[in-house]
Amino acid sequence: MALVHIDALHKHFGSNHVLKGIDLDIEEGQVIALIGRSGSGKSTLLRTINGLESFDEGRIEVDGERIHPHETDLRALRQKVGMVFQQFNLFPHLSAGQNVMLATRIVKKMPEQDAVDLAKAMLLKVGLQDKFDAYPDQLSGGQQQRVAIARALAMQPRVLLCDEITSALDPELVNEVLAVVRNLAAEGITLIMVTHEMRFAREVGDKLVFMYQGRIHESGDPQTLFANPQTPELASFIGSIN
Amino acid sequence: MNEIALSAIIRNLLEGAAWTLGLSLTAFVLGGIAGLILLFARIAKNPLPRRLAQAYIEVFQGTPLLMQLFIIFFGGSLIGLEVSPWIAAALGLTLFTSAYLGEIWRGCVESVPKGQWEASASLALTHVEQMRHVILPQALRIAIAPTVGFSVQVVKGTAVTSIIGFVELTKTGSMLANATFQPFLVFGLVALGYFALCYPLSAYSRVLERKIHGSRAH
Amino acid sequence: MSYQFDFVAVFDYSSVLLAGTAHTLLLTTVGAVAGLGIGILGAVSRAWQIKPFDRIFAVYVELIRNTPFLIQLFFIYFGLPSLGFRLDEWQAAILAVIINLGAYTTEIVRAGIEATPRGQIEAAESLAMTRPQIFRHVVLPPALAKVWPAICSQMVIVMLGTSVCSQIAAEELTFAANFIQSRNFRAFETYFIVTVIYFVLAVAVRQLLTQAGLRLLGRRAR
Repeated sequence: MALVHIDALHKHFGSNHVLKGIDLDIEEGQVIALIGRSGSGKSTLLRTINGLESFDEGRIEVDGERIHPHETDLRALRQKVGMVFQQFNLFPHLSAGQNVMLATRIVKKMPEQDAVDLAKAMLLKVGLQDKFDAYPDQLSGGQQQRVAIARALAMQPRVLLCDEITSALDPELVNEVLAVVRNLAAEGITLIMVTHEMRFAREVGDKLVFMYQGRIHESGDPQTLFANPQTPELASFIGSIN
Repeated sequence: MNEIALSAIIRNLLEGAAWTLGLSLTAFVLGGIAGLILLFARIAKNPLPRRLAQAYIEVFQGTPLLMQLFIIFFGGSLIGLEVSPWIAAALGLTLFTSAYLGEIWRGCVESVPKGQWEASASLALTHVEQMRHVILPQALRIAIAPTVGFSVQVVKGTAVTSIIGFVELTKTGSMLANATFQPFLVFGLVALGYFALCYPLSAYSRVLERKIHGSRAH
Repeated sequence: MSYQFDFVAVFDYSSVLLAGTAHTLLLTTVGAVAGLGIGILGAVSRAWQIKPFDRIFAVYVELIRNTPFLIQLFFIYFGLPSLGFRLDEWQAAILAVIINLGAYTTEIVRAGIEATPRGQIEAAESLAMTRPQIFRHVVLPPALAKVWPAICSQMVIVMLGTSVCSQIAAEELTFAANFIQSRNFRAFETYFIVTVIYFVLAVAVRQLLTQAGLRLLGRRAR
């Protein structure tokens, strides 16, 4: 049984059919790179997996937790699915440590001291153990994004969604974030990432999924696909990126 | 008849100003409480309280304060209540204040970026937890400057209550102007009185505004 | 004994209501046009620090924004004659509305002008445009478009505020209401109907101004 199972998923934004029947299985420990042009539906697909977007038809199952179309009670699901955003979305009124602790305290009802210890461990994992009391606006973009990763990891999700997490960063800050993600992949955390970092996708990804006009146009082993795209669309996409 | 001394004029005006201040505080505090209820109705998930609150706000922002006061004043006597000018003034200004504060605060809640909702949702927080821990703390910070700024409108709004016979600064001024035949002096002093009440609030709200834009977000 | 509502007693005076409505709208229109003009002048002086007008406008804005409209009206109508300025009730009302709205629009438009990105002005300067040209073509249109919703709100607020002009016997809508209820002794019904009229006017004026903004300033003015 796949960890994430997506079956015949359809979604419309008004008259715009953005997801046209997506089938995708993701195994435990896999790193999935979702690529494609803007508007191809890759971010929308990612966001349906933790219910930030509703969908019209089909079904999604994460670790046995099924989401129905227009489901509204997503608490159980979201404890299993973490997310990291392009714009970090740290809570500006809370310190880095408090950002990481917030959900473990109030959702998981973890005792204060345990939450603090866990938050420290998570910040250590992303190399920011000395930033526990720093506020987001005292951190660089790369550091903020690492705190955001720590915040998601503290919930011990079964799968982590990454939505273009390096796109808002200055070029010199991209690598420190990618290094963290590489470590997570090495630890065997299941990752689904929408990304424009092709080299990274190729190096770290177990599976490449190329989205085109709301469909999975091509998918498979990254090395093979990059070397040998089967469709002209993927070939042209790879050409335009490099 | 021109013999009323300047000191007497000032003493009377100060007494009027005290009533202006008292009415302003009453309306601001009660209007703030009602405004908070309106805010929660306005951002509720259920559309019924949302629409009711919106209608309330539109009516009170779309009609003159003077008419609201008249309706309370004359409406009360219709249902057999003897409405004193003080009660009518306090009630009218409270309703007026609540409509504006409710709307200002809703704007503050909505100005919290969408990413904050999404990030807290993805951490499995419920709607109430998102509000309590993530959205309202940020909205509160944003709200302080415009709230202080709006208090100036409340103070100025109290002048209208003179028309239904509540004796505050403006009414005192009108009576003194008639008695002394010195309208230029008296209304000049009255204006000065309002300015003394309002300017510090305006200036403080600007300082707060600058602080928020210039500083860190905590 | 329960009270019998009698709204017909109000509509017996519909011509008075109509005249009052027309006068309220007239007062608002004149005030809005002239007030906006003052506001733009004031905003330029303040934003571009044109001496000594920037100082004068700063004081004017603070004085007006920190005192009630009713007092401004009384000061003009009752106070100014001591200085030899005698205005009739309409002149006083119109002057008060213009002065009041001018102060608010100065602040609103100034905020719009100051939000102009530096690069826009630099781009215009590099095209060898003069300062007035830059202001007229590059700075003002987007600034007005940006703050148009705030201007609309302020104009509606001022229109509703003109109801206190009845206190100097300017025969606008509230004056009409006072007159009618003194004749038919139906205070509640009269004020209720007039409140409804004000509400309709507020909605209509807001719509009209929004549409005008779209027409004149383009899509951004919404």
